[in-house]
Amino acid sequence: MGDVVIRAENVSKKYCKTLRHSMMYGVADIGRNLLGKSSRPGKLRKNEFWAVDNVSFEVKRGETLGLIGPNGSGKTTLLKMLNGIFWPDKGKIMVNGRVGALIAVGAGFHPLLTGRENIYINGAILGMKKREIDKKFDSIVEFADIGDFLESPVKHYSSGMFVRLGFAVAVHCEPEILLVDEVLAVGDVNFQHKCLRRMADMMESCAVIMVSHNAQVIRFICDNALFLNKGQMKFLGPAAEGIDEYIDFMVQKALPEHDKMKLNASYSPKVKIEEVRFCDAGGNQIRDVNSGEALNIDCRVKVTEPIPRAILGVAFYLDAHERSFICYSSQIGRYFDLSAGTHIFRTRIPELKLKKGVYHLAFIVAEKNELASHTWDYPAYILVKNPKPQYGFYSMDFSFELGKPAVS
Amino acid sequence: MNKKEITYEPDNNLKKGYLSLLREIAVEIKENRWLTYQLFKRDFFATYKQSFFGIFWAFIVPFVSLGTFLLLNASGIFSAGNIKVPYPIYALLGISFWNLFSTTIISGADALIKTGEMLTKINFSRKSLVFASLGTAIISFLLQLIMVIFLFAHFKMMPKPAVLFVPLIIIPIIALGAGFGLVLSIINAVTRDIGKILPMLVTFLMFLTPVLYEKPKLGILTQVTKYNPLYYFISAVRDLTFNGFLSEPKGFYISCLFSIAVFLFTLLTFHLTETRIAERI
Repeated sequence: MGDVVIRAENVSKKYCKTLRHSMMYGVADIGRNLLGKSSRPGKLRKNEFWAVDNVSFEVKRGETLGLIGPNGSGKTTLLKMLNGIFWPDKGKIMVNGRVGALIAVGAGFHPLLTGRENIYINGAILGMKKREIDKKFDSIVEFADIGDFLESPVKHYSSGMFVRLGFAVAVHCEPEILLVDEVLAVGDVNFQHKCLRRMADMMESCAVIMVSHNAQVIRFICDNALFLNKGQMKFLGPAAEGIDEYIDFMVQKALPEHDKMKLNASYSPKVKIEEVRFCDAGGNQIRDVNSGEALNIDCRVKVTEPIPRAILGVAFYLDAHERSFICYSSQIGRYFDLSAGTHIFRTRIPELKLKKGVYHLAFIVAEKNELASHTWDYPAYILVKNPKPQYGFYSMDFSFELGKPAVS
Repeated sequence: MNKKEITYEPDNNLKKGYLSLLREIAVEIKENRWLTYQLFKRDFFATYKQSFFGIFWAFIVPFVSLGTFLLLNASGIFSAGNIKVPYPIYALLGISFWNLFSTTIISGADALIKTGEMLTKINFSRKSLVFASLGTAIISFLLQLIMVIFLFAHFKMMPKPAVLFVPLIIIPIIALGAGFGLVLSIINAVTRDIGKILPMLVTFLMFLTPVLYEKPKLGILTQVTKYNPLYYFISAVRDLTFNGFLSEPKGFYISCLFSIAVFLFTLLTFHLTETRIAERI
């Protein structure tokens, strides 16, 4: 423990926006290098920008650093520089030890070759020697769990098998520095757990640098977090703080978008949502709410044709796809006869026990049953904050006490 | 497991001397021998795997181009010159060594772009990729050589003892082809024009080089031939096989030195510029 195995000092990398300029600059840079001249990497030319801009950090053995940031913030570019695939245009990277990359598992596989052949070839590409692969072969096959398919061409594999085999080869490299880029999003649940367990084993002896959009993964796995935006360092420090910074940043980015969206985002000719207001218990309009406090939602709808026995509903989405909470009026036996005209439908949630984050709301006016909805996906956002530390997916009431075992 | 610290820094190779760069290259090549072999296997087996005729395609392609010349020669449209040995042997021997050069350069130039995604995702020796591409060229050369041996048996001819030196000529031919292949592979990665123009250029070069005909005695081609190292290699192969001595030793030795120089120079070039491949490909 304790020795620095990877260190980046003021690292920058420039990218080119257009293919034509990229070709021209590529030829020019190569030409200058051949003449023994510097390609003047520190300067930006037309249509170039800094994809990674002046980033410094170091990681010690046994430490885990999480790279977070919005799309296009330079995380993957930074990871590729640490791997030596891209070279920095400014600054310096020092790497001390064998680097293993879980960046694109199975990238070296040839679809026509069998699993056995690909294990050897991919192992070689990842830096293993023949003897090493011979020794680990059975363990790789066991980990990949591909059964009889070992002698079949990889192109006949299911995508899960393909990834499993790729991951199996990659984790058997025994790296001292492990670079991970969102690879855990693949495979079924059992395999994901297997991978996480394996990675946890490796983390004890490795320095790990991982990219993930999943804040929970970073919070649980990483010691430190590096938050990048547009290539620049926004935060470097303890992972939990980094995640908070990141979520706050994403919220600030998302809220103005809400205002820009059109108000008539309705899919139904019968119902049109005109306005949505968020209020606290006192009726004051709010844009954010603390987890566990009251949230009242006033939704003004214009109904063009009467809807008898309508069901009202609200859905909370996190990250656009995780449906965190849905409530329908039918659940509490309430149905509304909506006449033509404007109505305000009020939803009252006395204790909003959602974890912190930005939620996207959808409103439902349904006829007959919950699925026959009229209006869906009105774009509204609410930010749920939580001043207290919060872990896991749910926010619940809880208490702890210390008791004595019963004497028998 | 290598324990030494690696530093990535812009232009850091430029600060080292050429000798230390060459040493670095030699170490890299040596350490990656097995990787090179695996990459060759990947390339080679994959090429022939999903086809019924498989490896026999390596025979068929040179046969077709040879057949064309035999036909043209037999019908008197094309004159190969005053050749003392049976034309099929003469032509096939020449064309097999020519193909060694042409497949080396073409497969070398394609080696990087063919790999595609792997190159931008995994860090491994890029030189191994180019060298692995030589393997396929050498295998198809050996197959063609077997055909040459059959032809010798068919015409009941015996090559001169000096034929034992012929394998040595493979070295400068490969050095020249791989040398150009190395540098072209990088340019090809940056701009794809090379891949389009190279096969045409190589075909043109073949007609320019006395591969299927004798060295011309008159005209502009005579001058071109004089400065064409490939001519010296191919004529050396024939000289040693049919006559038992080199007819133009000076030209041949200069061509050999030239080939080795090209190879070392392009190897350095490749080493200095390979760090730019992944970002431009």
